Amino acid sequence: MGTVIIILLLIFPMAASPVVFALGRKKESWLERAVAVVTGLELLLAVLLWRFPGACSVPEVLSLGLSFQEDGFRRVYSLVTALLWFGTTLFSREYFRHEREHLASYWAFILLTLGAAQGVMLSADLMTTYVFFEILSLSSFPWVLQERTEDAIRAACTYLAVAVFGGLILLMGLLLLSHETGTLAYAQLPGALSSGDSGRLLAAGICILLGFGAKAGMFPLHVWLPKAHPVAPAPASALLSGLLTKVGVFGILMTATSVFPVNEAFGILILILGTVTMVLGAVLAVFSVNLKRTLACSSMSQIGFILVGIAAAVISGSHGSGEGTTLALSGTVLHMVNHSMLKLVLFLTAGAAAMNRHTLLLRELRGWGRNKPLLKIPFGIAALGISGVPLLNGYLSKTLLHEGLLHAMEGPFAGMMRGVEVLFLISGGLTFAYMLRLYLCLFHQKNDDDSLQASYDRKDRYLTGLSAGVIWAGAAVLLVLGFPPAATALAGVMTDLPLRHFEPLAWENLRGALISLSVGGAVYLLPVRILLAPGGRDRDLWPKRLDLEDRVYRPLLLMVLPGMLGRAARLFGENLLLRPVCRGLVFLGSLLGRAMDTSVDGLILLARGTFLREERVRDGSRRRKNPQLQTLRQATEEALGQVVDNFSYAMMMTCAGIVLILVLLVSLLLR
Amino acid sequence: MKPVFLLIPILLPILGGGALLLIRRELPRQVRNVYTEIVASLTSLLVAGLLALVSRESVTVYSFIRGFSIAFRADGMAMLFAGMLALMWPFAQLYAYAYMRGTQDEQTFFAFYLMTYGVTLAMAFAANLVTMYVAFEMLTLVTLPLVTHYQNHESLFAGRRYMTYCVAGAALGFVAVVMGTLDGSGAFRWGGNLGNLFPPDLMLLVFLLGFFGFGTKAAVFPLFRWLPMASVAPTPVTALLHAVAVVNSGLFAVARLTFYGFGPDLLLGSWVQILCVLTAAFSLVFAAVMALRQRQFKRRLAYSTMSNLSYMLFGVSLMTPAGFLGALAHMLFHGVIKMSLFLCAGAFMHVTGKEYIFEINGAGRKMPVTFGCYTLGALSLTGIPLFCGFVSKWRLLTAGLDAGTAAGRVGAAALLISAFLCAIYTLTISVRAFFPYDEEGLRQNGVREAEWQMLLPIVLFTVLNLAFGVCSGPVLAFLRQIAEGVI
Repeated sequence: MGTVIIILLLIFPMAASPVVFALGRKKESWLERAVAVVTGLELLLAVLLWRFPGACSVPEVLSLGLSFQEDGFRRVYSLVTALLWFGTTLFSREYFRHEREHLASYWAFILLTLGAAQGVMLSADLMTTYVFFEILSLSSFPWVLQERTEDAIRAACTYLAVAVFGGLILLMGLLLLSHETGTLAYAQLPGALSSGDSGRLLAAGICILLGFGAKAGMFPLHVWLPKAHPVAPAPASALLSGLLTKVGVFGILMTATSVFPVNEAFGILILILGTVTMVLGAVLAVFSVNLKRTLACSSMSQIGFILVGIAAAVISGSHGSGEGTTLALSGTVLHMVNHSMLKLVLFLTAGAAAMNRHTLLLRELRGWGRNKPLLKIPFGIAALGISGVPLLNGYLSKTLLHEGLLHAMEGPFAGMMRGVEVLFLISGGLTFAYMLRLYLCLFHQKNDDDSLQASYDRKDRYLTGLSAGVIWAGAAVLLVLGFPPAATALAGVMTDLPLRHFEPLAWENLRGALISLSVGGAVYLLPVRILLAPGGRDRDLWPKRLDLEDRVYRPLLLMVLPGMLGRAARLFGENLLLRPVCRGLVFLGSLLGRAMDTSVDGLILLARGTFLREERVRDGSRRRKNPQLQTLRQATEEALGQVVDNFSYAMMMTCAGIVLILVLLVSLLLR
Repeated sequence: MKPVFLLIPILLPILGGGALLLIRRELPRQVRNVYTEIVASLTSLLVAGLLALVSRESVTVYSFIRGFSIAFRADGMAMLFAGMLALMWPFAQLYAYAYMRGTQDEQTFFAFYLMTYGVTLAMAFAANLVTMYVAFEMLTLVTLPLVTHYQNHESLFAGRRYMTYCVAGAALGFVAVVMGTLDGSGAFRWGGNLGNLFPPDLMLLVFLLGFFGFGTKAAVFPLFRWLPMASVAPTPVTALLHAVAVVNSGLFAVARLTFYGFGPDLLLGSWVQILCVLTAAFSLVFAAVMALRQRQFKRRLAYSTMSNLSYMLFGVSLMTPAGFLGALAHMLFHGVIKMSLFLCAGAFMHVTGKEYIFEINGAGRKMPVTFGCYTLGALSLTGIPLFCGFVSKWRLLTAGLDAGTAAGRVGAAALLISAFLCAIYTLTISVRAFFPYDEEGLRQNGVREAEWQMLLPIVLFTVLNLAFGVCSGPVLAFLRQIAEGVI
């Protein structure tokens, strides 16, 4: 039964995708309804998976076989996946009411990605993960493209390039790993590690980390993330941020726990990249003046928190601290779930603003939500939750991550870890600062354009009951997740490691949160209010030049690489190098041919010079030396002139080949 | 069944095509199409039947002197190549009827097209080096009129270049054939059949000549210039011959020389092997770069063919069963993929009369089936799982790493780089087709899907692409038997 459910979870949305596409072409108004039915059934299946556990493997398919299993973590994430899809589908009914272009293909790709995401989340070996990861990467590309604007096309191309690059580097990592260990199944990997060379294993790990990191939005492959989110439709942004990044994190988490659970070097690497991602995302979010871009950068920063958690678990493991690993892993998985749900609420609220106002700039949206309690309250809950305010959901997971980090402070890297801890608290503070800014800007401050503000304050209908229901349901889940016993129970289910000595509201835990919040408040009050948004006018102060994509990746990919490779290609392709070699060969060949030829000519000449000699006409002119040889020389010259690309070339090569054989045979026989 | 029956499928298309040449007057189109299709299908059926029934003995047709004889045999590798051709030929010909309608000298075209089938089958069933060499030369001659079919300046020039390279390559290969036959008996045997007549160092040198000589048809690095030029030929020729039959004949000959003539025992670990591996590794990246630089649809695909042929040469020159398996799998799968890609390109060119990539803008909207199939083929060629390209690339990559030599690892790295470039040069076309950069592209007036004769093969090869990708188990089991010398 469980096996059937697992297979249905994957196959059903994928099979429904073309049906929905065909239906959308015929009868467009049924599209959302059909998709809602499919995602609703998927949700039901994901719930049923809790009742009927199972595992399955399909050998021989795709030449290497696929295998699936389910455990606490996988069940939870399969459910979260189905939940997010169902929620965004319901919300889309209102969101796409007026922009109905290209919708059939959009929904077809949404469903395809759902199946692929379930495939990743339920996979039992790295190869299966990779297969579905790759499908997911490609099938989510049209989401970004949906609006068909110039920005959207550019962002989509960036997304595709990063996805393809990530996929290939991941493949290289898997190849190295399977070469070293001989297996890719998560369950067998820990036992097979002893046979591998540690240096090569680490190289494989780095490749895998970069490959999955490209999807997770990890520095330095985060470039697609702040560009793709603002241009994608809001429901798609919620999925991109809430789930697709988690697919990458899932891969990193699985690799870290099954291949490198006690490898300090790997842990430090994740720690560094995670810290950079965490801080960079937070700073970018503070500087952003676009609602969805802020949320996107915030996603990047939260992924950084999660990566730091994974790193802390690995480093604790390498020091033999089981408790540290438990704390860090619990924090990691809890923060993953929290972030998925948080971003659902936040992005859908942003989508509500976007579909009413058709803009995402904070300057224009200021004051829009002043009397819109249906949006104000859920957004407030989510904003405070993600900032880690005690008794809301983000607090628990961030505290667990912080505790895990503290337990990892041992060994030669303790000093660095202390620095990471400071950055961790500061990033938490920045989270509070930018969320506060968003909340106040949207729901509290007044727009400086009074007529606009007046139109905002009119009691227009701004949200259907269905959309509001989705957002409020999301907020309700957030509140449940903020309830400490529920959260620790969830973490226990997901990691299978019970949290024993953890007091969520102990003073030392509250202290970290309070430091963060006060840092955040100070940042908001001083730099943000004075520098970035003086008097309610948001200024874009982030220097455009500091764009990794425009400054490094695009020039590298579009100018340096083609330049270098093109030069190399010219050298060989346009025959700068080959032509002289060819000429040399041709000359050699023709010389050999002519040598054979003239040996016969020589006989004729000799005959003519002796017994066939004719009477020479005495006309007084100077006797020309050997006219036959003269013409021969002329002919050779001519032949050499047009000999490249000519039949004679081929014939001479034939001659050369045959002469060569003769020479070889003769030399052998005379040996 | 007696092996003498192998002669029937070889001679049937040659004689059938020859008869068409001898008839002076132009036959009505319907009659000619039905006649050629019947001959081709009959041959394919015969091949299919023979592969199941015929014994593994060899049949000697004519013997010049000791060792130098014309003989045919159906062993595992011959079965693979012949089966592949039998699968593709009738459908490619179906496509050709629609594509060639209204061009000059259609009758001559189909006559030579049919004759090529027989000659390629002779190449597949050849039982010794001499027979293979003769078929190899014949193949050059019989395909020359197809390349120069349009009779314009460009195609005549391309034809001359094609001839030059192939004859020159065959001349180099001739050395290997003669020396190999003098040393051993010349008959193909798994693991090589060399005696001890000549010193090993000399034979290594001879093998190198043979590798590059026969490799010319597989467009190995310094001798590749004919392939992109030959893309001026009609699409049925570029698709079936210059992506499958002719280029795979080159690869086939190299593989025969390596595994059945000279043998890995002699070659493995020698400087010649390292040179071959490195040449193939360089060649596959180089061709991918060149493909990126092309602005003409078919020329880009032609360079992509060169790159993929170098994948196979890389697999063969690893000289391990795993590498051989990868090469054989890629030969089959690349054939299927590249057929579908070229046929899509041809359908686009046939419908619109355009040939440059920037002119594709938005064509995918009007030709969704064609460009949908193209995209699936492109994904497969890049090596995305679910499609067959992934299966063979994975085998080649693991074989490269498992070979345990530095050259093997370099090759594996080159393979991945080239896969990345491949994604760029194929997928940019898809993106352009479906998501045009400007409004101009949305109009594409008068563009519609091609007729069914063209769509059927495209869809068929795309389905095969997916089917091989999802259930490659039985195919790989068969190929493994070949690669390990069981059949």
